[in-house]
Amino acid sequence: MPHATEIERLYDEHAQPLFAFLLNFTRDEADTRDLLQEIFVKLAREPELLDDVREERAFLIRLAHNAAIDLIRRRGTRERTKENFAAEIISPFATTSDPDEKLFREELAVALGELPEEQRAVVHLKLWEGLTFEEISTALDIPANTAASRYRYGLDKLRGRLRPLYEEIK
Amino acid sequence: MNEFEQKLSRQPLRQVPADWRAEILAAADVNRREVVRAFTSAATIRLRLREIFWPAPTAWAGLAAVWIFIFAVNFSMRDTFPRIAEKSAPPSPKVMVELKKQQLLFAELMGPRETPDADRQKIFSPKPRSERVEILMT
Repeated sequence: MPHATEIERLYDEHAQPLFAFLLNFTRDEADTRDLLQEIFVKLAREPELLDDVREERAFLIRLAHNAAIDLIRRRGTRERTKENFAAEIISPFATTSDPDEKLFREELAVALGELPEEQRAVVHLKLWEGLTFEEISTALDIPANTAASRYRYGLDKLRGRLRPLYEEIK
Repeated sequence: MNEFEQKLSRQPLRQVPADWRAEILAAADVNRREVVRAFTSAATIRLRLREIFWPAPTAWAGLAAVWIFIFAVNFSMRDTFPRIAEKSAPPSPKVMVELKKQQLLFAELMGPRETPDADRQKIFSPKPRSERVEILMT
């Protein structure tokens, strides 16, 4: 049976990266909270899920990704329009007092929001979680080659979108 | 990783709000307790059943076999002998006429039935007023 401290340990070790991934993926803070809770409730109810898991982080990202996809599918097109609107204003990045950095983070948040969800997920896991394409393929249940190509496409779009600003503040 | 990728990866991400921890863990704990409770009650039932059946498993198995045998015999009997009431056909008109005749003959042999006084119907016949007074006097 699951022990309360085991759930606390899982939360303390993995809640932050899951939060960042979900916020970047859904671009909605309320949805991110609901999904994060859904994951930990699932772990509390079905502790055997982690029995044969070697990479807890990859497994939890997979749970988060599946839960986020389910949420988006449940909502349908109308809600997705709302999400796209929200993508422009919800930033997954920390605030800063440096005006150049602030502008760059805002632009980066918007550029990430314009990426298709599957590219955004791969870019996030590669850049901010430091996962290899193999690990990303395990976490998102896609082939490693697909993960690599999605990353390339996503990064090219970000580069094209941010190049002027990046060159200016470099 | 090239310079651009490094620049992106250095951008710090937002921190998970601190107040979420208590709320999410509380929700998880409620569900965890439900699972533990369900597990405990299932284990208790298993233990009880074990206490009842374990001391004499052969006797319980024999009893179960006897019941199964009784049910099987009962079921097969029901199938073999159809119900008489369901199968019996209504009496023919000839039989009905004969029966009626016998009833009439029996009634003749018995003669007219005497009705007891108590059962006899009282016929009300008004009497003259003078007679009524006599009755009162006597």
